[in-house]
Amino acid sequence: MEFDFSPVITYFPTLLKGVGVTLLIGLAVAAMSILGGQIVAVISLYTRKVVSWPLRFFIWLFMTTPLLLQLYFLYFGLGELILIPAIVVGILGLGFHYMAYNADIFIATIRSVSSGQYEASRSLGFGHLRTLLYIILPQAFYRALPQLSNNMIIMVKDISVLSAIGIGEMVYVSQYAISVTFRPFEFYITIAVIYYLINLMMEAGQTWIERRAAYRR
Amino acid sequence: MTQTTDTPMVELKGIKKRFGDLEVLKGIDLRVDRGRIISIIGPSGSGKSTLLRSINNLEVIDEGQILLDGVQVNRPDLKGLAFERHINHIRQNMGMVFQHFNLFPHLSTLENVTLAPRKLKGMNAGAARELGMELLERVGLADKARAYPSSLSGGQKQRVAIARALAMQPKVMLFDEATSALDPELVEEVNRVMKGLAEEHMTMLIVTHEMAFARDVSDWAMFMDGGVVVEADTPDKLFSNPDQERTRHFLRKHLGQASPGAAAAG
Repeated sequence: MEFDFSPVITYFPTLLKGVGVTLLIGLAVAAMSILGGQIVAVISLYTRKVVSWPLRFFIWLFMTTPLLLQLYFLYFGLGELILIPAIVVGILGLGFHYMAYNADIFIATIRSVSSGQYEASRSLGFGHLRTLLYIILPQAFYRALPQLSNNMIIMVKDISVLSAIGIGEMVYVSQYAISVTFRPFEFYITIAVIYYLINLMMEAGQTWIERRAAYRR
Repeated sequence: MTQTTDTPMVELKGIKKRFGDLEVLKGIDLRVDRGRIISIIGPSGSGKSTLLRSINNLEVIDEGQILLDGVQVNRPDLKGLAFERHINHIRQNMGMVFQHFNLFPHLSTLENVTLAPRKLKGMNAGAARELGMELLERVGLADKARAYPSSLSGGQKQRVAIARALAMQPKVMLFDEATSALDPELVEEVNRVMKGLAEEHMTMLIVTHEMAFARDVSDWAMFMDGGVVVEADTPDKLFSNPDQERTRHFLRKHLGQASPGAAAAG
């Protein structure tokens, strides 16, 4: 068989739009899952069981069921009750999914900050909350970085799952292009290369961040 | 709550503390006048660290009364947030230095020192920086202002920790075995800083294993064992000619540091 990449060039603007959607969703999900992960971790560590147990159940639920199932549940299941735009469902679904994974990491790293740090902060006159904000969480965050960035790299690839609910990310737009041009290999190869490049950049970012974080741990 | 110069800076009345069934403090009384330096010595498990930590409520006492400059520190009558507010305010007046430094690793040396005055006293960045640099200068580490704790030696870390505690301009400084975790050659630089504070008449309570230093720097020395104060006296008397056999035994075990200066100190 012969490769012909000219359709790819024709449809490149469409593909780029897909790349843009993927990156935007990635940013939104990263922000939501990292911030939310910390909040979930803090609440599940520092509140009464009435509050913390349901949250732990939430983490457990999202970690033990497939992402695709969660998305279908949100999109088609909840879609029966209220109409939510697919993009919102996509961001929320992925966001909750990775929030659970990130919360799991933050719970471990918050616990790993020594009690001496807490005592030093309290002895200066900081209360519980400020100690958490200024002392414990920043340290827990730096410690979480390696696993956190791994999660985010996996998450960007998982954005492709959102094509299943019709979100115009990279895989979805390429499928559209393929359906018109009948050139699956060329488009899939192109998409794979783009994913690879995105990953390469994320890994470079990961290295950079970790180098800066190393001496702050 | 009027504070006259006669009000002791720190006063402990009948302090009792239990960990489960074990009574670690069995009724401790102590009066520390302003500008005085008290050394607390004793074997491990004697309760000396617990006593020091009780003073700023890092350990919650079961009985007794702790007063800082006439203000009661432990307030069994206050609950929840009311007590939080009270103790946070009290703690701003007490500097605490820990055995393992407990510097904040995610902050630079300067930020370690300026965090509390900025966030708790609302000091602006410029003024805090000035104060921080002044304090780092005082502990001989102005050139390390931008360094992170991970790049400092133990002695340097402890000096930063002292600067950090001083940044809130405390009325009293509590030292919990400040040099115990240090290599011997690094002890002196920390001792020098503490001596500097002594010369400026900072009120200090020092829990230490450094007998020579305790003798040299303090106005009053206390030997604790088994949760009680066995003997308290001037350092010259306590270290060279203690009344109690338990004190003598303890000092003999600590490299016989009781005897060398005894004649000279007379």
